Amino acid sequence: MSDFLLPYVLMIVVAFLPTEMWRSLAVYLSRDLNEGSQIIVWIRAVATALLTGIVAKLMLSPTGELALVPLWGRAGAIAVAFAAFFILRRNVIGAVLTGEAVLISAAYFSGAHFNF
Amino acid sequence: MDEAAPGSALLTRARWWSLFGKGAFDALSFPAWMIALALFGVGSLARDVGHPIGAAMASTLFVWAGPAQVIFYGGLAANVPLPTIALAICLSSLRFLPMTMAFLPLLRGPTTTRFTELLAAHYISITVWTESLRRLPTMPRIERVPYYFGFANACIILSALSTGIGYLLVGAVPGPLAAGLLAVTPIFFTISLTAGARIPADWIALGLGFLLEPIALVLLGPGLDLMGVGLVGGTVAFLVGGAIERRRA
Repeated sequence: MSDFLLPYVLMIVVAFLPTEMWRSLAVYLSRDLNEGSQIIVWIRAVATALLTGIVAKLMLSPTGELALVPLWGRAGAIAVAFAAFFILRRNVIGAVLTGEAVLISAAYFSGAHFNF
Repeated sequence: MDEAAPGSALLTRARWWSLFGKGAFDALSFPAWMIALALFGVGSLARDVGHPIGAAMASTLFVWAGPAQVIFYGGLAANVPLPTIALAICLSSLRFLPMTMAFLPLLRGPTTTRFTELLAAHYISITVWTESLRRLPTMPRIERVPYYFGFANACIILSALSTGIGYLLVGAVPGPLAAGLLAVTPIFFTISLTAGARIPADWIALGLGFLLEPIALVLLGPGLDLMGVGLVGGTVAFLVGGAIERRRA
């Protein structure tokens, strides 16, 4: 195979197909499901728990530069963003920016050894 | 919710594109930037393994799943065997099954074709999912498809551009800001899920996901932990949430 095409073929076979198969399978499995049905409520709850599980995983076992931020900074950013969402009367943008401010400040002031 | 005007079984072309534009505009007014920032770092990972910028941007358009792209390029960098990378990606992308299944009945109308559904399913990412679950139910059913495609296309195109910029700017982002970029995903997901929670089951699932993950990571290991959290947390949330709603009724 040519060197030019290899990165594309690898991406399609190793990353795209194993991801897309779940989305396509869902099209067939959801064929007879209605918006208000109880099974949809259950599937939605499964997806929601899975997604907050991902948030917890990203913050508890972080990668790259995020790993250099102390745990209190990572957990604090999520907690403060969550509180800010309600304090700011359900303002999504304000909450995300507040959480980011906490995290970047924690990274900056914690004395972590970043490579500038 | 389906109070489409009588006789408006099909939207006019102008109306279709105006809804598409509204979706794109709403995405660009904030959520698209969140996912674009999250996929910024994928560019530098692709560059680290010597892949061209086109492949990095194509990975955002095709794979459209940050964790899968990180596993792919991170795995290549660490010389992990290809079948192992594919299996890890397969497990990490399992979330798209319940997400897409919960989403499609919201989008589907009487005239929606199987092809439209497959195409719509491709755009599902956490951002598109949480925002769609929040926005679509209040819209007339007939308007949901064009709005969704406008919203989702704005997200994916902006993100592909961001991946390309990340590829070119590799190493130029100072440490604390790079940490901030990596935190965009967890912070935004938390807020977006919170904003979209409507019924008791949603709130309980949200809390249980956080609480169960540290336990599941120890019990099930880093491959199957999230599946366990989803099934156990989601089922408990469904049962307890249902009981709460029945008591209220």
